[in-house]
Amino acid sequence: MNLTPEQETLGRRNFLKALAGTPALAALGAAAITRGPVKGGPVRVGWIGTGTQGRALMSRMDPAYADVLALCDINPTSLARGDEVLAKNGQHPARHYRDWKEMLAKEDLEAVVMAPPLWMHADLAVGCMEAGKHVLCEKMMAWDVPGCQRMLDAARRTGKVLEIGYQRNYNPVYQATYEGIIKAGVLGDVYHARLAWHRNGNWRRTGEPPSKDYDPSPWGYPDFEHLLNWRLYWRYSKGLLAELASHQVNITNWFFGSTPEAVQGYGGVFRFKDGREVQDHVYATFEYPQGRTAVFSAIESNAFDNYYEMFMGTKGTLILRAETDAMLFPEGDAAHATAVEVAARGTGPALDASESKPATQTSTGVGTTRAGGGETSERGLASRNEISGFCSAIRVGTPLKCGPERAIHSARACIVANEALGKNQRQAITA
Amino acid sequence: MSDDRAALSGLQQFGLVLLRTLVGWHFLYEGYFKLVLPAWTRGGALLPAWTSAGYLRAASGPFAPLFHRLAASSWLPVVDHVVAVALVLVGLSLVLGLFTQTGCAAALALLALFYLSAIPTHGLHEPGNEGAYLIVNKNLVEAAAVLVVLAFRTGRIAGLDRLRRGPARAPRVEEAA
Repeated sequence: MNLTPEQETLGRRNFLKALAGTPALAALGAAAITRGPVKGGPVRVGWIGTGTQGRALMSRMDPAYADVLALCDINPTSLARGDEVLAKNGQHPARHYRDWKEMLAKEDLEAVVMAPPLWMHADLAVGCMEAGKHVLCEKMMAWDVPGCQRMLDAARRTGKVLEIGYQRNYNPVYQATYEGIIKAGVLGDVYHARLAWHRNGNWRRTGEPPSKDYDPSPWGYPDFEHLLNWRLYWRYSKGLLAELASHQVNITNWFFGSTPEAVQGYGGVFRFKDGREVQDHVYATFEYPQGRTAVFSAIESNAFDNYYEMFMGTKGTLILRAETDAMLFPEGDAAHATAVEVAARGTGPALDASESKPATQTSTGVGTTRAGGGETSERGLASRNEISGFCSAIRVGTPLKCGPERAIHSARACIVANEALGKNQRQAITA
Repeated sequence: MSDDRAALSGLQQFGLVLLRTLVGWHFLYEGYFKLVLPAWTRGGALLPAWTSAGYLRAASGPFAPLFHRLAASSWLPVVDHVVAVALVLVGLSLVLGLFTQTGCAAALALLALFYLSAIPTHGLHEPGNEGAYLIVNKNLVEAAAVLVVLAFRTGRIAGLDRLRRGPARAPRVEEAA
């Protein structure tokens, strides 16, 4: 997807024009307030996992909505960095725990926000819900489909709020797009979506253990390197499909109003043969009902295309790039790029710490936000809204934007896609 | 029905009691809302705890120095709570018609404080206000309404005061005018 600056400007203008008739969401808020307020302050929260993504979420949190009482992580360095984020966010210090069960037993918590390695999601989320806590769990939902199902069952059984952290659902750009473009039928009939997440860099992280004698083996990691780079090993991770594709498949499910029925794919460790297990190049084709197809690619050898979701309809093309930029091209108007922009481009928001960022960006970003959790990028706003939305779901029952019933579909699709890659054959995706 | 009360027509009595009830509801909900904060709208927005600090800091007029000192003092949380509770009690008094005369006097005192802390002398539209005011603003109009309710002893036309003291010896219309 190579567009000239003129095409990008035109695309943005088209997008805004198409949205002009969308009713103001503020009107809905005004209608809701006429029923009177419900007493209650911020939700009392414990935070499990204060690694880069956990801290990125924390830095974007609005302290008015969530009061962080305790942090839990097996890495003391991460806990200390979590304190720094809280301080910069204008929050009081939180108590530290290494054992999440001890945290739940000792603290008067209502909810848990968790961003641990993927393989721990199901056990932790189910354990927290069974202990009576609401849970906001980072994506992907769980390491395997039975884990996802256990989380869904626990949410239903306990009646607790379970939200899965696909922040695009809370991003004003995506919400406006859904209301003003997708539902309004501006694109016509959409048969094809292109999902790309291209980076040029090694996914492997480097870092020092918290102490020379630090031993993470009691928690299932043979050494510190496996803890630090859990995303590179199958025991803990589901690779690029879980960390990147699941975001985009989740959005495609939303926009298509359906879930994929089959997937085929190809990939492997082609560039970084450094002992990692998960692929560094992944290509997958998701088959949706009614002849719709979404093609996903994640490569770790070229970042020119950045990351985006592109929906190609009979009447127009929609491009959502890097979670901040929306462009619309009516079919036959200026749809064809004839020039290639090769100048260095900004590849995403300045503040970012998750696996979703381009690998060429090395800044951790955490701690650079304003006091009070303020951040102006759409991506930052999306995470902020996500946590606030989770808290309001707890307090006044506002609908979840990505509860377990919805999140399980993108998780299942990406888990099966990994199986398809492994077997190098088309796999059906069945509930 | 006494001869005195017969001096007021049914519509006049209804109008006076309606006026008292509406003013009372205004006080009651303002107070309740402040007490319920921090709270959440049903739409999911957080409403922060209420404080009179901003109002007191912005005060002008004869009591400005006192209000400014209060805003900066450790008494502020007490002031916040007292104001909210006072609004609720006055509201209940006027809605129920119970201790109506006392309720009216307290309402007048509160409204006088609110008015004197920000007398509109510039006559311009202010952000947050739906109109432009010169000397007379809605606090003053509401105070005048409370004065009418006070003068007509409406708790004994309709209200729980009738249970306390029996039907009123309400003034004649011409006496009240």
